[in-house]
Amino acid sequence: MAASAYPPPPQYYRLYKDYEQDPSSAPEPPPPPPIDAKYTTFNVQRKINELLPSLESHNVRQLYPDGPNIDFKKELRTLNRELQLHILELADILVERPSQYARRVEDISMIFSNLHHLLNSLRPHQARATLIHMLESQIQRRKQAIEDIKQRREEAQKLLGESLLILDGSQTN
Amino acid sequence: MDIISQLQEQLNEMSMLAVNTFGTLQRDAPPDRLSTSYPDPLNPNPNPKPEEDAKPQVQGQPGAAPAQAPGAPPQAQAQPPALDLAEQPKAMSHALVLAAKKFDALVAALPLSSEEDQLKRIEGLQAENEVVGLELQKQLEAAELELKQVEVLFNEATDNCINLKKPD
Repeated sequence: MAASAYPPPPQYYRLYKDYEQDPSSAPEPPPPPPIDAKYTTFNVQRKINELLPSLESHNVRQLYPDGPNIDFKKELRTLNRELQLHILELADILVERPSQYARRVEDISMIFSNLHHLLNSLRPHQARATLIHMLESQIQRRKQAIEDIKQRREEAQKLLGESLLILDGSQTN
Repeated sequence: MDIISQLQEQLNEMSMLAVNTFGTLQRDAPPDRLSTSYPDPLNPNPNPKPEEDAKPQVQGQPGAAPAQAPGAPPQAQAQPPALDLAEQPKAMSHALVLAAKKFDALVAALPLSSEEDQLKRIEGLQAENEVVGLELQKQLEAAELELKQVEVLFNEATDNCINLKKPD
């Protein structure tokens, strides 16, 4: 293990040496350093910004055209049609020339790899959509809280006004 | 389950169906007829008169069956496999096509938008979140101030009540 099991706590106590005499002399504690390098979990080193490895790194030919903006729906549908065609071809080959199944099976597994790679590259988009959803629900909750607080304050003011009237009424009696 | 995981599950389902289809067909395929002079494995007794040689090989049942109608049991045994042979590929290919259609339907249901649109929306939402957060903090501080004032007044009122109340 590279790091010790029980690291000491951060030494921010040194900043507050003269706090008793002068509360404003303690500077702001420095922010923690940004995590840049690799981290280790369960004895495996991983990077922070792990990108999806490309298909070439797995020795698989990329069938869909790559570019800055990929039309995911169209490519997924095209690959689905190709898959069905290849399954039919495999059935035909098994009937007529059964010894040549290997190439077809490889083609089918390549299509599946491409499909899975496309789906995996949709995950960052999903992460951003989740973030948007979380922000929206947080804004909604905060607005609701503001409305609640306003309503309670108004009720409290009304009650105070009523009690004042009652007290005045009983005073003048 | 989120839609991308559903799509991935659907892909796995399609591959499982394809593999099962081919495996079942290869496993259950009857032997091929090599020449017309050999007996047909699917229909060993085409003649109404029973063939003495074919009976013990085809049936393998001791005693009872050969004494009764010999043509009926082999045909009864051949019929259920023949039905399966015709129905199974249809059912399995039907399932494959249904799975492919479901995949297409899921792809159509994907809520896709471009990356710039998403980033713009995130920035807008963050700004709005800041504004709403400041407003919430303001309201909270005002409410806490009012709460303190009410507490002070309440303490005064109770003190006065206690002081004015004459003990009996």
